[in-house]
This record gives sequence, C-alpha cells and structure tokens, in this order.
Amino acid sequence: MNSIINESLINLTLSADDKKTAITQLAKQIQLDERLNDFDAYLEEVFRREALSTTGIGFGVGIPHGKTDAVKIPTVAFGRSVEGIEWESLDEKPVHMVFLIAVPESASSNAHLKILAALSRRLMKEEFRQELMQSKDEASLLSQLNEIFELALQK
Amino acid sequence: MKVIAVTACPSGVAHTYMAAEAIEMAAKEAGFDIKVETQGSIGIENALTKEDITSADYVVLTKDMQIKNETRFSGKTVVRVTVGDAIKKSNALMKKLQQHYDSKNK
Repeated sequence: MNSIINESLINLTLSADDKKTAITQLAKQIQLDERLNDFDAYLEEVFRREALSTTGIGFGVGIPHGKTDAVKIPTVAFGRSVEGIEWESLDEKPVHMVFLIAVPESASSNAHLKILAALSRRLMKEEFRQELMQSKDEASLLSQLNEIFELALQK
Repeated sequence: MKVIAVTACPSGVAHTYMAAEAIEMAAKEAGFDIKVETQGSIGIENALTKEDITSADYVVLTKDMQIKNETRFSGKTVVRVTVGDAIKKSNALMKKLQQHYDSKNK
C-alpha cells in the first residue's frame, strides 16, 4: 500500500506569494508522484472548495483539500513558506504551513475528514508547529507525519 | 473538579477538533477531569455518557452552531463560548471555572 505522504511530497522551501501558486506547486508534486488521474480536475476541485470558505485555520496553517475521482491515491503534501502566504485566514495572518490533501471520491467515505481532524488536533500543540517550522530535513518530518495519518485512518 | 464539553463548528472539518484539543489541554493543565465530545463532519465522537454528565461540575459548549441533543444538560451549569475563544482562551476559561468553583464551595 502507498503511504499517504513521502519525502517527495514535502517541500520545505515553498516559494509562492499567493494561495493559488502554493496550491499549484504542491499539486504538481502530487502529480509527479503519479497519484492523480487528472491534474487539472483535481486543482479545480481544490479551488472550488477553497472558494466556499477559507482553509486558513489560524496558527499559520492552511489545509486546502479536494475529494474527487481525479485522485488516484489518498495523499497529503506538506509545504512550508518562511515568508508566509496570504490566505484570507480566519485570524487574518499569513500561512506558513500548507497541508494539501487529495482523496479519491471512492475512498472509504471520510478518510480525508479523519486526516484533517487528527491534523487539526496535533496542530494545537506548539511543539508540533515548531517542529514543522524548524525542521531541517524532509526525512525527520516524514516519520512524524506518517504516524499521525496512519493512526487517524485506523480509527 | 470535572469539566465536560461539546464542540461543533459550521464546516466541522478543523475547528471542532482544534477547540476540543485546546479545551482538553487547558483543563488537564489546570488539573481538572475533562472529557470533550466532538460533533464534526465525521459524526459524534467521544460521546458524553449519562454518568459523565451527572458527575460534571461544568459543561462547556461552543456556540457557533446548535449543539445536538442539548437538553441532556438541563440543570447543569453550562458555559457557552465561541469556537475561536475555545481555541485561543481556554486557559483563561479554566481559571474562571476554578474561581467560580472555589467561591461556591467555600
């Protein structure tokens, strides 16, 4: 089974001034890892969701997500921007940590919701946010993130 | 002292769980017994039992959305907060509950 995240889906030096560019960059990484059936359709779904209400949940975190047939394999991509990205967040602050979530329409109905719930809880812990912001390499973050997601899906 | 809480937010995707976690962390730090039910898009999780409700000193409910099955708390001391305040100011909330509890049990 493919894991939800791997090193090629982590980008610690996201260079994007706006939400759209950031999401597109991360989506490209998902595409390169051959996890999408249709790149454009996936992006469209993420932007459609984003237009409904902001996914900037505060604490410098954005969790854009899309559930669609355009996705082959359930995936989370993580991007970090030291400069920050304007996200129309609820607390009006820029986003430094982006989790882009991709889930197939056919996935056991609420897989992405479970991932989002587990992630939201973990993000309340300051040590975790610090780890995300300060981590020097993808590998060290990877095992932590994997653990959170796998646990969430077992529930 | 025992606190129970129920959190819910309009989209039920992130803030329900962030608020639950914040309340849990603050209550534990204050040394209270705590149980938080989440009413999110996954459904109801960690549901409060009759015993939980009976034994609770305080009930914290988020007020951004109607909490399901609220009548079960009638007769209890209920505190309503916004999801945003639960996320950001749970420590202050616990302090207030402690003060209220102390003044009542002098």
